[in-house]
Amino acid sequence: MKKMWLIGLNTFKESIRKKTLYIILIFALIVIGASKLFSFLTAEEELKMIKDVSFSAIEFFGALIAIFGALYAISGEIERRTIYTLVTKPIRRSDIVIGKFFGVSMIIFVNFILATIFFLGLLIFKKSPPDVEVLKTLLLIFFELILIGSITLALGTFTSDAFNIICSFFLYIVGHLTSYGKELIERAENIIVKGLADMLYTLVPNYENFNIRDKIVVGLNVSWGYVGYTILYGILYMCIALFIALYFFEKREI
Amino acid sequence: MKRKKGYRYFLAIVFCFICIHLVQVQIDYRKKLENLESALVLMPGQMAGSLILGGFKGLAADLLWLQMETYWHSGQHYKILPLLQAISWLQPSYILVWTIGGWHMAYNIYAEVKTPEEKQFWYQQGIQFLKKGLAYPFNANKYDIYFELGWTYYHKGKDYPNAVKYLEKATKYPHPDYVDDVLAHAYEKNGQIDKAIKQWEYVRDNYVAFYDIAVRMINDLKTKGKATP
Repeated sequence: MKKMWLIGLNTFKESIRKKTLYIILIFALIVIGASKLFSFLTAEEELKMIKDVSFSAIEFFGALIAIFGALYAISGEIERRTIYTLVTKPIRRSDIVIGKFFGVSMIIFVNFILATIFFLGLLIFKKSPPDVEVLKTLLLIFFELILIGSITLALGTFTSDAFNIICSFFLYIVGHLTSYGKELIERAENIIVKGLADMLYTLVPNYENFNIRDKIVVGLNVSWGYVGYTILYGILYMCIALFIALYFFEKREI
Repeated sequence: MKRKKGYRYFLAIVFCFICIHLVQVQIDYRKKLENLESALVLMPGQMAGSLILGGFKGLAADLLWLQMETYWHSGQHYKILPLLQAISWLQPSYILVWTIGGWHMAYNIYAEVKTPEEKQFWYQQGIQFLKKGLAYPFNANKYDIYFELGWTYYHKGKDYPNAVKYLEKATKYPHPDYVDDVLAHAYEKNGQIDKAIKQWEYVRDNYVAFYDIAVRMINDLKTKGKATP
């Protein structure tokens, strides 16, 4: 456990040295801050727009941070050959992968917390203190970001960086569309097509499960049951990503 | 040994996918139960389209709303209509879209058109738009659209039976004080004087801001049988 923690901490420290992540974070904060520009609207409309823009910015820029943070966690070490110093030590490869996952999660967490504090401060400034529904939305966004990071990390163990970026973004977009696909599956008459589509629906991560912000900003309530199941879904998917990462990293000739 | 480990990972992954399938069934069920489902929308226009693809429907609705504000303030009322439809499509639970949309058709466009037939047409369009908003369960559990319907029937259509019907529905959900006030007026206009007096008594006893008006109205209704001009 200590080894994993040290690897994670090292991954985190290495990432905070990269300027790319700072730039993405600054962009996120600018976008969240810019949502104050809607003051010409009525108070209700303005608050809705602040929440919409901020949630979207936290998610979108968070996804960028997750992808770029996880991208070089393993492949970067292989490229720079610093991985040799690790694998020659009495450390299991699984410790390296899980440690890297911890490190990527820390990067996502710190950036997420900074953007969240800024957003919540803006809400308090607007005399609309965040309620539990806002916190549920943020919690699900956080788990979505960790999931994105773990998938990128897994892809990094067996693909090139360029392919990894394309694949991660592709999954991010498709993952938000799968719930629409569900409607089409229900309408399909051919049993084979239906079965294949159903399988695809399970295989592709359904990021839309984590998206409750559209409902929260208009005053809908989401039960803790839904939040709990979605978090469980995220954790199960993270496990799959980690198993894939472990399999390919252990198989890899280094 | 390595191959054995590979099988273990494979089995673990299959097991996780089975669990995911079961969890997803639960999530889909709860989505249906809690009105969290998203409808399939394919919008014209690159900006809106690409935002929807990224799962940013709320943001797309906001951009359209800002565009609508621009049209509104420049007096291009007809251009607002497709935007209203699009926003209500993207975020049907955004109650303001329905109330503003209905008001916009039954009042703003109504005022712009010339012939009585056209005016009647836009009044009906406004009413229909508001009723469409009630088709969404979340909106049907709030006072807003019922009140807007009741008010439009009362004020614009002079259709008092329908006004009473919807205003009564509005008072069943948490609502501001003026809803009860309008309902009292509607009862009177609908010829239900006893109910109007009772409603004014309720307003007098519950809302300090309306106390003086309520006392005067009760007095007028009891003495003259008429209070609303």
